[in-house]
Amino acid sequence: MAAGKVSFFERRDESPVRMYHVSKSYIPGQRAIDDVSMELAKGEFVFLTGQSGAGKTTLLELLFADERPDDGQILVLGRNIARLRGTGIPSLRRRVGVVFQDFKLLPRRSVEDNVRIALDVVGTPRREARSRVFNVLRQVGLQHRRQHEPLALSGGEQQRVAIARALVTEPEILLADEPTGNLDPDLSLEIIELMLSAATRGTTVLVATHDISLVEKYRRRTIRLDGGRLAEDTPAAGGIG
Amino acid sequence: MSRVFVILFTLFRSGIVGLRSAAGTALISAVTIGIALFLVGAFALTIVNMEGVQARFSQKLSVTAYLETDVDDEAALEIAERVATVEGVEQVTVVGRDEALERFRGMSGGAALLEGIEENPLPASLEITLVNLNRTPQGLGILATALDGLPGIDEVADGREWIDGYARVTSLVRVSGVAIGTILSLATLLIVANTIRLGIYARENELEILALVGASRTFVRTPFLIEGTLQGVVGGIWAALILWLAYLLLMPQLEYGLMFLLGNAVPRFFNGGEIFFLVAAGAALGFLGSLASLLGWRR
Ligand SMILES: Nc1ncnc2c1ncn2[C@@H]1O[C@H](COP(=O)(O)OP(=O)(O)OP(=O)(O)O)[C@@H](O)[C@H]1O
Ligand SMILES: [Mg+2]
Repeated sequence: MAAGKVSFFERRDESPVRMYHVSKSYIPGQRAIDDVSMELAKGEFVFLTGQSGAGKTTLLELLFADERPDDGQILVLGRNIARLRGTGIPSLRRRVGVVFQDFKLLPRRSVEDNVRIALDVVGTPRREARSRVFNVLRQVGLQHRRQHEPLALSGGEQQRVAIARALVTEPEILLADEPTGNLDPDLSLEIIELMLSAATRGTTVLVATHDISLVEKYRRRTIRLDGGRLAEDTPAAGGIG
Repeated sequence: MSRVFVILFTLFRSGIVGLRSAAGTALISAVTIGIALFLVGAFALTIVNMEGVQARFSQKLSVTAYLETDVDDEAALEIAERVATVEGVEQVTVVGRDEALERFRGMSGGAALLEGIEENPLPASLEITLVNLNRTPQGLGILATALDGLPGIDEVADGREWIDGYARVTSLVRVSGVAIGTILSLATLLIVANTIRLGIYARENELEILALVGASRTFVRTPFLIEGTLQGVVGGIWAALILWLAYLLLMPQLEYGLMFLLGNAVPRFFNGGEIFFLVAAGAALGFLGSLASLLGWRR
């Protein structure tokens, strides 16, 4: 690209996640998200906190176009979520890894198949897919369980399968909803480290969590929601992204 | 490019996984397609054989005009010359009275019948063949009108009634075949659509997850189309096999009954292309059935 001619979409400094005055109600008059504005930088690691019902899951759902905002603008990877049509939504989702609060694993498929499904939809060649799945399962400590079905696993193990599926595609954005909710403290730290290292490789990570001890331990940027409103946006201690 | 193949492979595999996971309902729907195609195929087989008879009969068609007994061979020749000028006539052969007698003697039992009869009772006749284009009921009609106006002609045997009747029976069989085929196809479509719909419900959870990890609509839907098409192919092969077995087993028993419809012709089975068409019809039914069910499904 010629120097000085930088296209809008390829601007280096463009934040991968931007929300402006976004509101969302499921029931008229009750806003699950209320006038929230924020930006996340590329490679940033951010905690999203707030009490149960504060709107954390809803905010994540807005970001991968599972829910539509009633008001405001959401730009994810340069695309306006409210305007996505047809193939727009699937092609955005392929670039965003999501760890769901309820895992969303396929009960009758092996752990390996569950993780590979994210690669299947983009047509990753079998060999490459196999080695990527193996590597990511090793990272979450489940390589020995890869032939089992999810129901044969503990809650914490299922959660790690969900994390592996979100990470296997090396997404540009990782959205994790209570990814340590079922893990004991040691394992929680390991999983957070995994996501931190994804962030150092350039992935923008947003982790919704109740776990104040994690937030306090890492001192990363923390966005707190309260009744759907953005109550607090605490920058990372020591100025690290 | 290779990604496209990987995706196609994945989709095909998941279509087969879908078939296996609901083997019972898939089998029912394949059998349904099979039964429908078997019935339609049986009609089609009857029709192709009847049309074959009609075509062969028309090819060999010749008209015999019997002359009055007082017409001698010389006069017969004169009449023949006039007949030869009629539109559509290809050739006229005179069978003289003596030759007619010879032919009659040659037939089994003919000699015995002629015993004791002194004078030749047989008339001379004209054997008339028509050009290809005129070997039709209409062509025969033109000839019959022309012969009516000629003196010396006693009786014309042209098989026109037989051809007309046969054509009517053939088209009756064809119309009922098409009607039954249409009804069965629609019923089959409904059953396939329902089977696929059940499969969609059973896998709704999986489909939702696929969509959440970024599967396109096509990616989510294609396995069901593959599933339906495979059910149809299995149904079509099924139908062809059963038809063939029925052909082999029933043919000897039905030979006499079929003689009424087919004359002396040996009934044939479908050729390769026709079998392929039967299986392709099954595939089309399966494909359309699953398409119908996907069109009615929103997500
Ligand atoms: N599908 C829905 N229909 C109606 N209301 C909903 C729906 N989903 C969420 N809500 C409501 O929206 C609000 C925010 O819910 P959300 O799930 O985003 O909270 P959360 O912060 O993720 O809570 P938790 O920590 O318990 O997971 C809650 O009041 C919830 O009851
Ligand atoms: Mg939640």
